[in-house]
Amino acid sequence: MAFLRVQGIRKEFPGVVALDNVDLEIERGTVHVFAGENGAGKSTLIRALTGIMPVDSGTIHIDGRDTAEDKSLFDLVAYVPQELNVFPHMSVAENLFMPFDKSGFGGAVLSGSRMTREAQEYLDRFDIHARPDQAVGSIAVSDRQLLQIARAATKKSFQILILDEPTTSLTTKEIERLFKIIRQLRDEGKAIVFVSHKMDEIFEIGTTVTVLRNGQTVGHRAMDEVTEPELIRMMSGGEIRLDQTFLPETEPGEPILTVEHLSGRGFTDASFTLRRGEILGFAGLIGAGRSELMQGVFGYKKPKHGRIVLKGEELRLGSPAASVAGGVLYLSEERKLHGILPTLSVRENIGISVLDQTAPSGVISGSRERSIVGSVIDDYDIKTSSWEKKIMFLSGGNQQKAIIGRAMARRPDVLIFDEPTRGIDVRNKVEIYKIMKSLAEEGVGIIMISSELAELKRCATRIITMHDGEISGEFDTMTTDADTLVSAIIGSGELRHVV
Amino acid sequence: MSSEVAAETASPAKRTLASRIAAVPLLGVFTALVVIFVVSCMLSPHFLTPYNMTIISRTLAFVGLVTLGQSMLMILGELDLSLGAIAGLCGVVGGIMMVQMGWNPWLSFALCLALGTFCGMFNGFLVVALRLHSLVLTIGMAGVYGGANLVATKGVAITGIPDAIRVLGNSKLYGVPVPFVILVVALIVITFMAVKTPFGRYLYAIGNNPPAARMLGIRVDTIRVLVFAAAGFLSALAGMLMVARLGTAQPSIGEGWVLAPIAASVIGGVATTGGVGSPIGAILGAAIIGIIENIIVLFGVSPYWQSMVSGAIVVLAISFDSISRRYLRREG
Repeated sequence: MAFLRVQGIRKEFPGVVALDNVDLEIERGTVHVFAGENGAGKSTLIRALTGIMPVDSGTIHIDGRDTAEDKSLFDLVAYVPQELNVFPHMSVAENLFMPFDKSGFGGAVLSGSRMTREAQEYLDRFDIHARPDQAVGSIAVSDRQLLQIARAATKKSFQILILDEPTTSLTTKEIERLFKIIRQLRDEGKAIVFVSHKMDEIFEIGTTVTVLRNGQTVGHRAMDEVTEPELIRMMSGGEIRLDQTFLPETEPGEPILTVEHLSGRGFTDASFTLRRGEILGFAGLIGAGRSELMQGVFGYKKPKHGRIVLKGEELRLGSPAASVAGGVLYLSEERKLHGILPTLSVRENIGISVLDQTAPSGVISGSRERSIVGSVIDDYDIKTSSWEKKIMFLSGGNQQKAIIGRAMARRPDVLIFDEPTRGIDVRNKVEIYKIMKSLAEEGVGIIMISSELAELKRCATRIITMHDGEISGEFDTMTTDADTLVSAIIGSGELRHVV
Repeated sequence: MSSEVAAETASPAKRTLASRIAAVPLLGVFTALVVIFVVSCMLSPHFLTPYNMTIISRTLAFVGLVTLGQSMLMILGELDLSLGAIAGLCGVVGGIMMVQMGWNPWLSFALCLALGTFCGMFNGFLVVALRLHSLVLTIGMAGVYGGANLVATKGVAITGIPDAIRVLGNSKLYGVPVPFVILVVALIVITFMAVKTPFGRYLYAIGNNPPAARMLGIRVDTIRVLVFAAAGFLSALAGMLMVARLGTAQPSIGEGWVLAPIAASVIGGVATTGGVGSPIGAILGAAIIGIIENIIVLFGVSPYWQSMVSGAIVVLAISFDSISRRYLRREG
């Protein structure tokens, strides 16, 4: 019998069946991948496996014993959530061993020297570049991610390690480091559960895969017996073509946004022109200054020098309100931080963007708001049991759709899209490409920042590369090969996050 | 975590009654208010008398106006601990203008409202311009405004407020004390603003997520300053009405208006973290506190014990609300 065995579990939330008759078997010494689109039930399944969330029916056996009879079996499961979950102002060692009683530091007085010594062992073993006494807030994001995994390992009892999209904020090199650790744990006989949207990662690290769709298990496969198109078909329930491009088919129009010699924190002397009806791609490594430049253009971070001309008029620097009034919208890669208003309803989250349409007289018209919000929810296929549901209870993909939908409802002239498909599954990626294409064909100027070169080549007519805060090149997508782009992206430095 | 197919087919009717009740905003605090009101009626024959109702509603009016301002700030994610000091300062400045300088009472009244607005706006300006934490800043500003009050009065009350102003504090409209009528009008205006205008939506948006609000093109800093100014205005109004009620400008006016409005807002469902709650809830919370304090007096509890008993009951009230909500949610 498998080490972890799930039989027929079902979980219902008010208005939604999140898991329906899910079966699963996970063996020691393997990496088991959960694959599925956003909202397929992966996160709910993980919460069931960690014991955080009780299930309505079905059984979970760990090591041959029923968890319903012995809740302490869940102590064998260590979980590393997608969002970083660390105490930034406490030391690396303290973060590592918290809660102390479960990691062998049970006494009333903590021995600082012993903690430092033992922490160093974990830091070496997990290849974390930090000192035990350093504040976690001062170490790199990738090291924090590894620290969370190390923290799971300090719990003496753990046999199953669940990693929920651990690579989202990591560079290619850091991902390699993470994979080395995962393989090491696998070879020690731990059972690893790995959740990711990135196909290349799934195929590189996975032993077996379970595909979820609409809260149900669609199938189990050994990783070496399944092909990528087959896996995507299982996840989406239909055929999705990977070679399709989304370049706008209309000719670009007049220049709409001109940036001249713009400098600020993280970017220097940037000049470029965006035309109506084109998708202008920005390629570069993480930290090359693309987001900083665009936040400067939008006014979220005030640039130090330079000039921006929008539709023939000079734009006030450092004022997002002026940019929005001029028809420029910025969609951040940080959905949670910069996008949703968590405790407001779906209706209010969408309605906030269209108040000039719903309240021309200064008083919000309920019926007008309902009609616009209704069409956004329909057009962008936002799945929610009620418009009045707080948006934080929607799945990540549906939150993203709501944010895009509300931006579109404003009818922007310029749209700056920062990593539009980060954390998005294959099917929804294609939907976003289609939206960008049709907007461009209606005359909107679109700036698309992406770390996936393949994605930029499918969508952008022109690609500007950035390296170390400066624009290092401008290329026509049709006539440029990937190698040329890559060398412009990496400049003289090393190759990191280029796909 | 939502299942795509299920989300479409699930019907709202499947939600249990308990979860639907829990979803109604203000129901918890309203129920608590009704329960406390009924219990008070049963406990004391003196409670439900016209005289006592007048006292309760008039006391509620003063602290309620400050609560309205504080609750808007809390929804925005800010706090102003100097609102009581602003009320006191405006009260004594009004007294000085009317009595010692002999200015027109109505002009003085209006000038004091302007002063309160300015004090609030100045707090907001410092918070925005210097990126200060409003809690700490306004502790300091409470000292500044409270000190200015003492400098101006040397701690002595100014008596002889003109009758034209005293009428505001003491007369009734259809049997309802005028200050209470003013509170109700203010509550209606602010609730309309919160629910039906873009400004109100911006308030909640900023309280929810300030960076996201800026990204949406909302003028976050302007709105912050305006709400601080509005809270200052409402506090000055409360202070002036208190002066009108007493007939003297007491330097001690506003001393009890710092923590009670915050407690009232929390009882009424306004989160200290911002973005959640409503001005109406905060006023219901203030009414609960007002009734509790009244019934303690009616019972003849020793003045030395009053503060302790009313504090303990406030803690009970918020615990009850929190526990009942958790219970109802689990049922759903």
